[in-house]
Amino acid sequence: MEFSYIFWWVIAWMIFWALVGSFVTRRIYLHRDLDTSNATFVGSMLGAATGPFGLAPLWMKSPDLTNRFVVFPALGAVTLIAAAFAFADPSNNCVANGSFVASQIVNGLIIGIIYGFMALGLSLIFSILGVVSFAHGEFYMVGGMITYFATVVWFPGLNPALGILIACAMTFALGAAFERMFLTPMYEGKIERPVEYGILVTFGLAFTVQYFVQAVAGANPVKTQRYIDFPRLRWPSAEDPWLVKSSRGNMELFDTVSISNPRFTAAVMCILVLCALLYFLHRTWTGKALRAVSQDREAAAIAGINPDRMNMLAFALGGMIAALAGAMLVQAFSWLPQVGNIPAMRSFVIVVLGGLGSLPGAFLGGIIVGLVEAAGTGCIPDAQKAASYIPAYGMIVLTLTLLLRPTGLFGRRFASGTHGKF
Amino acid sequence: MKKHHTPQLAGVALIAFFALFPFIYSAGDYDYIMHIAITGFFYAILASSWSMLAGYAGQFSFGHIGFMGVGAYTTALFCHYLYLSPEPTNICTEFLIGEQYLILVNPIGVTSSTLTQDCLRQALSIWDGSVQITPMPVWLGIILGTIMGGIFGLLIGLLVLRLRAAYLALFTLGFAEILRATISAEILITRGQAGIELPHLFDNGITLFGHAFTRTDKLPPYFAMFFLLLLCLGILAWLAKSKFGLFVRALREDQDAAAALGVNTTRYKVLVFVITTMMAAAAGAMQAHYVGIITPNNLFLLQMSLVVAMAVIGGVENFVAAAIGAIVIEFVLEMLRNSFDIGGITVDMTIWRLVIFGILLMLTLRFSRNGLILPLIEHFTRGHVAKETVAKRAAGASS
Amino acid sequence: MTNLAVKGLNKRFGGLHVLKGVSFEIDGPELIGLIGPNGAGKTTLTNILDGAIKPNSGTVYLNKQRIDQLPPYEVARAGLGRTFQVTRSFRRMTVLENLFVPALALNRGHSREEIAQKALEVLEFLTIDHLRNEYAQALSGGQQKLLELGRLLMLDPEIVILDEPFAGVHPRLMEVIYRYIERVNGAGKAIILISHQMDSIFTLCRRLLVLNYGDLIADGIPDDVKRDPAVIEAYLGADEEESNGEQGGRAQS
Repeated sequence: MEFSYIFWWVIAWMIFWALVGSFVTRRIYLHRDLDTSNATFVGSMLGAATGPFGLAPLWMKSPDLTNRFVVFPALGAVTLIAAAFAFADPSNNCVANGSFVASQIVNGLIIGIIYGFMALGLSLIFSILGVVSFAHGEFYMVGGMITYFATVVWFPGLNPALGILIACAMTFALGAAFERMFLTPMYEGKIERPVEYGILVTFGLAFTVQYFVQAVAGANPVKTQRYIDFPRLRWPSAEDPWLVKSSRGNMELFDTVSISNPRFTAAVMCILVLCALLYFLHRTWTGKALRAVSQDREAAAIAGINPDRMNMLAFALGGMIAALAGAMLVQAFSWLPQVGNIPAMRSFVIVVLGGLGSLPGAFLGGIIVGLVEAAGTGCIPDAQKAASYIPAYGMIVLTLTLLLRPTGLFGRRFASGTHGKF
Repeated sequence: MKKHHTPQLAGVALIAFFALFPFIYSAGDYDYIMHIAITGFFYAILASSWSMLAGYAGQFSFGHIGFMGVGAYTTALFCHYLYLSPEPTNICTEFLIGEQYLILVNPIGVTSSTLTQDCLRQALSIWDGSVQITPMPVWLGIILGTIMGGIFGLLIGLLVLRLRAAYLALFTLGFAEILRATISAEILITRGQAGIELPHLFDNGITLFGHAFTRTDKLPPYFAMFFLLLLCLGILAWLAKSKFGLFVRALREDQDAAAALGVNTTRYKVLVFVITTMMAAAAGAMQAHYVGIITPNNLFLLQMSLVVAMAVIGGVENFVAAAIGAIVIEFVLEMLRNSFDIGGITVDMTIWRLVIFGILLMLTLRFSRNGLILPLIEHFTRGHVAKETVAKRAAGASS
Repeated sequence: MTNLAVKGLNKRFGGLHVLKGVSFEIDGPELIGLIGPNGAGKTTLTNILDGAIKPNSGTVYLNKQRIDQLPPYEVARAGLGRTFQVTRSFRRMTVLENLFVPALALNRGHSREEIAQKALEVLEFLTIDHLRNEYAQALSGGQQKLLELGRLLMLDPEIVILDEPFAGVHPRLMEVIYRYIERVNGAGKAIILISHQMDSIFTLCRRLLVLNYGDLIADGIPDDVKRDPAVIEAYLGADEEESNGEQGGRAQS
C-alpha cells in the first residue's frame, strides 16, 4: 500500500465524525424532545459517511429518524471505506482485478451460507433454552470427525451420505443426552444464574469433547474424499465455454468465478436442509410447538406443549445442525480436534449480528460475515497476515454491532434487558 | 456469639507450609516439583482474580487469559526492543537520556539470515565488545505490563458496561481472540508463533541471605510468584471485606436494584475489571519472565478453560477457594501425566487427564455448584449462623 | 420541603406510546396513590422517575434538581427511592449486608458501627431481626418485601415509590408495611403508592393519580376520583382489553 496514509486518515476522519455525530445528535434530539432511540446510530453512521456536511443539516432540521436514515448512511459509510481503500492502493488485487473481486464475492456468499446455517443451530438453541452453547464448535468438529471415521476408518468405502447420517444421528444423541443430564436443573429454577451456568457447563462439554476426540483420534489432520464429482460441463459450446466450465473438483462461471466442489456441495446441502428445517418449523406440529416455546414458554405450556421436551429437541437439533455443517466441510478442510474453535467464534458473531434468537437474522448475518471475511482475506496485501487475521474480522463486526446496535439486525431486546430468565 | 478461628488458622498454616516447603522438600525431582508449584501459583492468581470478577461481581469474562497476555507481551516487547547504551549506535532510533542513550531496536521479525541482524546487533558487532549495553530491568517490565493490563481492562470494562451475561462472555472471548490473532499476524514485531524470548526473572542470578542463586535456580522465582500471589490475595481479601466487595456482590445479584439504592454501578463494574485484569497481567508478566518465552499459543482458549475450571472446581464465589483449587488441580494434572498400558494399548494420559478434568468440571457444576473446596470453607465460617438461626427460630416459635 | 415536579413525560417503546404527556406535582409529605389498569404505564412512569429508563421528552425535577437524565444511582442519592413490583433483594447476601448496601453507597460519613446500629433498629422495626445473618434467598416472599422496605429506610430518601407493596403478603406482615408507611410519612417524606388493592389505597391515600393507557386521566382526592366518569369507564372497560393490557405491561417490564 503505497498511499496507505490516505486510507488511515480517512478512517480516522470517519471515526472522529462518527463519535461527534453519535454524541451531539443524541443531545440535540433530547434537547428538542424528539424520539432518541435511533439518534446515536444514525448520528454515528451519517457522521462517518458524510462528516460535517451531512450532520449539519441533520442537526438543523432534526427529522424523524425512519429506516431510510438507518440504512443509507450505513451503506454510505461502507462505500466510503471501500473508496478510500481503492484510492490508497489502486494496484491491489481486490481493486484492480475485477474477476478476482467477483470470485471473492461469490465464494464469500457460498461460505456465508454455510456459516449462516451453522449459526442457525446456535440461534435455535438460544431462542428455546436461553443458553449460548459454547460447545457449538465441538459439535461441528465431531460431525466432521464421525463422518471421516465412518467413511474411511470404520467402514471404508461407505457411501458418504450414510456417513453423514451416522454423524447426524450420533451428535443428535449426544446433544439430547447432554441436555437431559446437565441442562435440566436450569428449568426448575434450582440455579441462581441460569445463563452463566449454561455457558460454563457447555464450556465444560466443549473442553471434554475436544480432548476426548484428541485422545481417540490423535492430533493428525484428517480429510475425506470429495463426496460427489461435478459432471463435466462445457457450455454454451465445447470450444468457448464462457458460461460454465466444470471439472470434477471445480467449476468456473463466466470464465472468471471459480468455485470449488466441496464448498459448493456443502452450500447446496445447507440450503436443502434449511428448507427442510423451515418446513419442519412451520408446517409440522412439533416444529410449531418449538416456535411457540421460543415465543412464550408459559403460554406454550398452557397450550399443552411440554417445554422440557422442546428444550431437549432444540439442543439436540441445534447441535446436529452444526455437526451437519462439519460433516459437509470435512471434505474441504483438514480436520483437527481444534477445528471447531474458529467456526464457533464465528457463529457467536453471526448470532449477535443477526440478533440472538432470530433465525432469519442468523442466516443473513452468516452471509454478511462470509462477505466480510472474503473482503478481509482478499484485500489485505500480505497473504499470510490476512489468513492470521481471519478470526479478527468477525470480531470487528461483533464489536461494531455491540457498540452501535446491541440488539442485532432482527434482535429482540435481550442485550440489556432481562434475558434468559427462567 | 462464639468466634470460629478455624479458617484463619488454616490460612496461616497453608501460608507457612508453602513458605517452608522449598526448604523441607529435597527429593530428586526437586526442580520439577518447584516448577509445578510456581505454575500452580501463577494459575492461582489467575483463578482467584477471575473468581473476584465472575464469582463476586458476576461478570463472566472469558478474556482473562487475554489480559494475562497483555501483561506478558508488554514486558516481552519492552525487554526485547529497548536497551540502554553509553554510546550512540548511529543506526538505531535512539534518544539521549541523561548520560545514556535509550536504544529502540528495529523489529526484524523471524529470520534465520545473519545478514538481517537488527541494528543493535550490528552495532555490537562493530563495537566488538568495547561498549557495554544494559538491558531494561525486569521489574520495570512487569510493572509496565501490569499497568498496560489495567489500561486494557479499563477500555474493555467501559466497552462491556451495557452488556450482560452471554453478550459479555462472547465479547470478552472475542477480545482474547483478536489479541491472539494480532500477535500471530504481526510477525515483524511479535515474531508470531515463534514467540519472544525474555530475560529470566533473575537473569544475573541473585544473592539472598548469603546464598548465591543462579538464574535457573527455582527458589527465587518460587518466592517471587508466591509473594505476588499473597499480594493479590491480600488485595482481594481487603476488597472483599470493604464496601467494594459488598457493592460488586450487589451488582452480581441485581444491578438495577443496586443502582436504585445509590450504588454507582458503572464505577464499580469498571473498577472490578481494572483491578482483576491488572492481577492477571502481573501474573502473566512474571510467568513469562520465569518461563523465558511467550508465544501466542499461551493465550489459547485451553488456558482460559483451565483457569475457569480451576476457579469453578475450587469454588467460584470465594477467591481463596479458587486459588487453592488452582494449586491442587495443577499438581493433580501434573501427577496424572504418566501414561500406562492396559492390555497392550498405551493410554496417553497427557490427553486423557484433560478429558477426566473436563468431566470433573461438568460434574462439579451439576452437582456441587459451589465447587469442591468452598463448601469446606463455608462449613467452618458459616456453621454458627445456621445454628444460631435454628435456635432463634425455636425460641421464636415457643414464645 | 419535598417537591417533585413532573412535566409532559412522553415515552414510546417502538410503536407503543406508553406515556402521553404525563404531568403532576407533589408538594410536601403527601401520600399519593397511583392506580390504573394493567398496561396503564405505572411501571414505566416509576422507571422514568427512578432513572432506569429515559423519557423521550419531558422533565422531572426533584427539589429544583433535574433528575430525568440522571442515572438511577444519582437519582437515589438525590432523594428518590423505590421498591420493585417483583421483589429484588440481593438473594445471596445476608439480610444485614442487604441493608449495608444503600447505607454505604450514600457515604454520609457514618461509621460502620452506627450503620450496623441503624440496620439492627430497622430490622427490629420490621420484625425480621432474627433473620439478620440469613441469606436473603432463605426469606419468604413477604419477608423479602419487608427487607426491601428496610433497604429504603437505610437509604432514607425524600420520596418513596412503593410498587405493589401488598401483593401476596401475609396479613400480619401487612400490619408492618402499614407501620412503615406511617413512619416514613410521619417523618415528612412523600410516598407514591402503586397498588391494585383499592381498599388499601382508599384508606391510606389522600390523593389519587389515575393512569390509563399513558394518559393521566384523574388527579384529586379519592372521593372525587371515584366518581370521575373517565375513571369509571377506564376500569369497567379494562376487562375486555385485559389481554392488550398484559402485552403492554410486558413490553415495559
